[in-house]
This record gives sequence, C-alpha cells and structure tokens, in this order.
Amino acid sequence: MKQKVGSASLNIILIVCSVLTILPFLWMLCSSFKTNAEINALAQTFLPQNFTAQNYADVLQKFDFLRYFLNSLFYALVITVVTVYTSALAGFVLCKYRFKGRQMLFTLILMTMMVPGVVTIIPRYSMMQFFGWLDTYRALIIPSVFTPFGIFMMRQACTSIPNEILEAARIDGANEFYTFHRIVLPQLRNSIVSISIFQFLWAWDDYLWPYLIIRSGDKQLLSVALNLFSGRYSTDYAGLFAATAIAIIPVVIFYIIFQKRFVEGVSASAVKG
Amino acid sequence: MNRPARLKNPLRSRSEVILRGTVVCALVIFFVTFFVIPIFMVFGGSFFRWNPLKGQLNFLGLDNWKRVFTSDLFWRSMGNTVFFAAVATVFRVVLGLALASALYSRLIKHKSVYRVLYYLPTITPLVAVAFVWKFIFDPRIGLLDQLLNTNINWLFDSRYAMVAILILTIWKDFGYAVIILLGGMYSLPQDCYEAAEVDGAGAWQRFRRLTLPLLKPTILFIVITSLISYFQTYIPVMVLTQGGPGTQTYLASYLIYEEAFSKYNFGYASALSFVLFIFIALLTGLSFKVSGKSDDT
Repeated sequence: MKQKVGSASLNIILIVCSVLTILPFLWMLCSSFKTNAEINALAQTFLPQNFTAQNYADVLQKFDFLRYFLNSLFYALVITVVTVYTSALAGFVLCKYRFKGRQMLFTLILMTMMVPGVVTIIPRYSMMQFFGWLDTYRALIIPSVFTPFGIFMMRQACTSIPNEILEAARIDGANEFYTFHRIVLPQLRNSIVSISIFQFLWAWDDYLWPYLIIRSGDKQLLSVALNLFSGRYSTDYAGLFAATAIAIIPVVIFYIIFQKRFVEGVSASAVKG
Repeated sequence: MNRPARLKNPLRSRSEVILRGTVVCALVIFFVTFFVIPIFMVFGGSFFRWNPLKGQLNFLGLDNWKRVFTSDLFWRSMGNTVFFAAVATVFRVVLGLALASALYSRLIKHKSVYRVLYYLPTITPLVAVAFVWKFIFDPRIGLLDQLLNTNINWLFDSRYAMVAILILTIWKDFGYAVIILLGGMYSLPQDCYEAAEVDGAGAWQRFRRLTLPLLKPTILFIVITSLISYFQTYIPVMVLTQGGPGTQTYLASYLIYEEAFSKYNFGYASALSFVLFIFIALLTGLSFKVSGKSDDT
C-alpha cells in the first residue's frame, strides 16, 4: 500500500513536470494554425477553432522563410562537417604523437573554452571588418573551423584506440594520412555522431554572430530572420507563431530521431569534463 | 636534441612530420588569431574611443575605465547578473536533483520517455523559444495569465520582469541537470545503497547521507558551468524586455551587447567585457579550488 502511494505521487510529480515542459511547444503549435482574429479574440481556446495553414504559406512565400531555412541548414551542415573533421584530426595528433609543447598546446586549447563569447566578439568583428569579410559566409565559418569542445572530446576518444593497430598499419607501409582516414576515423564513429549532433544544434542556434556579420537579406539565417521579422510585424501574431514553429519543429524531429545518442552524449561529456 | 628523439621513434615517417606540422601550425594560428589576440585587443581597445562604423580610434587613457566604475547602470547590471545567475543555478540544481531522484526510483517506469521530454527545451533554439515565451507572458493573448487566472503584465511590470526571464531560463535548462545528475546516480556504487537499506535507512536518509555527498563532484560541475553560462546570458533579455522596465532586467552581457552593437562604443564595451572576463575567470579559478578541495577530503 505504502509503495503504491509512493509510486503514484512520484508519477504525478513527473507527469506534471512533463506537461509544463511541453505545454509551451503545444500552445505555439496550436496557435500557429489559428487566424489572427482568433488569437486576438477575448474568449481564448487552446485548440484552433478554424484550423488554417495559411500562416505557414504566408511566411514561407511572402517573407522567404524557406530561403532562411535552407541558409541555416547549409550553414549548420558545413559547420558540422568541418568541425567534426578538424576535431578528429587535431584530437588524433594531440593524442597519438609525442612532440615538444604538446601539453602546452592542449592546455591553451582547453583554456580558450573558458573565454566568454562576449569578450572575443568585439575584436573578432573588427578583424572581419579589417579582412573585408563582412556579409560573407567566410566570416561565419572560418572563426569556427576548430572548436575546443570537439578537440577535447576527440582527444579523449582517441585514447581508447590501441597503439598496436597504428603500429601494425605503419609496418605494413601505410602512411599517416591513410592510417588516419582508414583506421582512426572508423574507430571514432560514436564520437563523430555525438559531436555532429551537438555542433549541428549549436550552429542552428547561432544568433549574435550571423546577426552582426550578414547584412544582405538573401543570405540571412533563420533565427536572425525571426527576430527581424518580429521587429517589423510585431502585431502579426499568427505569422510569428508560424515562423517560430518553422525554427523549432525541425530541431524537435531531429532530436526525436537521435534522442538515445543525445542522452548518452550529454552524460559522457559531463563525466569526462 | 633531435637525434635521440628520432632513435626513440624509429618509425616516425615523413608523412607523420607533415601531418603533425600542418595540424600544429593550423591550431596555433587559429587559437592565437581568434582567442589570444582578441583578448589583447579588448584590453588595448578599452583605452580608446573606438567606433568601427566611423573608423574612429582615439586614445582616451583611463576614461572608459573610470566610466565603467562610476556608471550606475554597470553596477546595477552586475547586481542583476549575480541575482539572476544565483537564482537560476539554485533552481536548476534543486529541480535537477528532485527530478533525477524521482526518476532513479525503482517505482518509476518509462524512465527514458521522461528523460527525452525533460531534455527537449534544452535542445531547441533559444531565440525561437524566447519568442514563444514572449507570447506566453503577453497579458492579452498569453497563456500564463489564462492558466493562473491573473492579469499580470509580466514583461512590463517591474516586479515580474526578472521573474519572467528566470522562468524562461529555468524551463529551458533544468533538463540538462536532470540528465547529468541521473547519469551520476547510475554510476554510484550500488552496494552502499543495499547496505543502507538493510540497516533500515529511509529514502530521505539515503538521499541526504549517501546520494548528496557522493554526487558532490557532479553537482559542483553543474553549479560551475551554470554560473559561467548565466553570467553571459543576454538573448532572453534581448527578446523579452530589452533591459526594461527601467533598468530592472539589465544583465551585464546585455549591457555589453547594447554598448557594442547598438551604440558602437567599442572602447567602452571593451572595458566592460574585460571586467566581466576577469570576473568569470576569478569565479572559474575559485570553483576549481573548491572542487579540488572537495576531492581531497
């Protein structure tokens, strides 16, 4: 009896928290299918009374959100592929080769993880201005070519690759490029997947840097476009709900597909960190 | 110097030298360009009147620094930031501990479903969810006043604006603490718990005497990373309140962002951000010292 009460009360707490967690998403989704008249009405309902998908059509056609969506997708994919590759390469070199200053270099990289973004953003902006890279994707991608987080995770992952495999390959006459691409990379499969997921989401979430760098409308990314849209059409709630949904829904689907990897990846990064 | 090293590694090949050299050079160039030089630039720039739009760069001496320490808005924003970071961190850890303990219980089924749900806000883009909450807080169309049956103008009432920013932040971040703490609980030694149960320790006692002390490193990890990231929060302020009403929700990072990229006072913003940098560095150092001590005992 006591156990039943305990289990019921625990379940109630957990369910209430789950509802509070997803309620904002459900409300946004429902509201995005309402008309502006219904959103502004005095008597509010949770579910749309006159279901309409017009908001999505408007936002995608009139305000080119499809374009911003594709720009964000392109940017996030490029960042993910580049950083995962460079992290694996740097992690491998820092883990498997012995050379002077190796520890110092690794410590420098780890220390940069502590530098707050607000501190580096002002000088980085001036640098991009100096290089003449404002309003180009170069300025978005090149300052993110290496990530300390990725290098750190990949170096940890490389420690579990036995040196004997590498030695065997070398004795068979493989050069280091072959060894890295054909032997090391396949062994790092799990880390590659979990780092990719995080890098992709972080790139999708980027706001301030693209906002500062990108000036022309047709190159803009989704979260910046969302903020600009809200500044211009602050009373078009229906449009804003649809635009917000477009920024959130793909991420949620992506998350549900890879949810197991996420939970593993988060726990692993904390235990090792 | 070179010779004995080569003897130790008879298999070091030309391709290794090339690969190693390229990667090390690239790493050094990258981290010096985008992390080391910027820190010096911020420090140097804080002594100038620096406006990148006008191409202005005039030496000012200590004027920016004097302005920082005599500015009411700066101290106000630092106070707000400390309050915000402390409250958000406490809620994150307490909620995380409570829900992770509940999920850890053998009485609960479908653990993975809860975990997936709780982590959902953490992975969604912050700008977008900030907009969702902006509408939730809206007194006319918003969900919150309807649910609570109140008529509070959350974002424009000086008593509630900071509460609103805290609600959004806690909602977005508690799931991360749940997952990390649950992972920590699973890695604790099971035999201690069995022994405690045999000795008749109740659930609360087991939590108080076993789980909490054993999880201390994990809890410290969350406290440190939370404080560091909350000291840099600005997006919820930017979307929800723009620092208002009055100066109620100015956070330090938002102030820097506004000075730098709305007013283009790069010099003054550099001085501000250097102060924040020192503050975060001290905090990090202090927390490493604390966590180092706890490992010894």
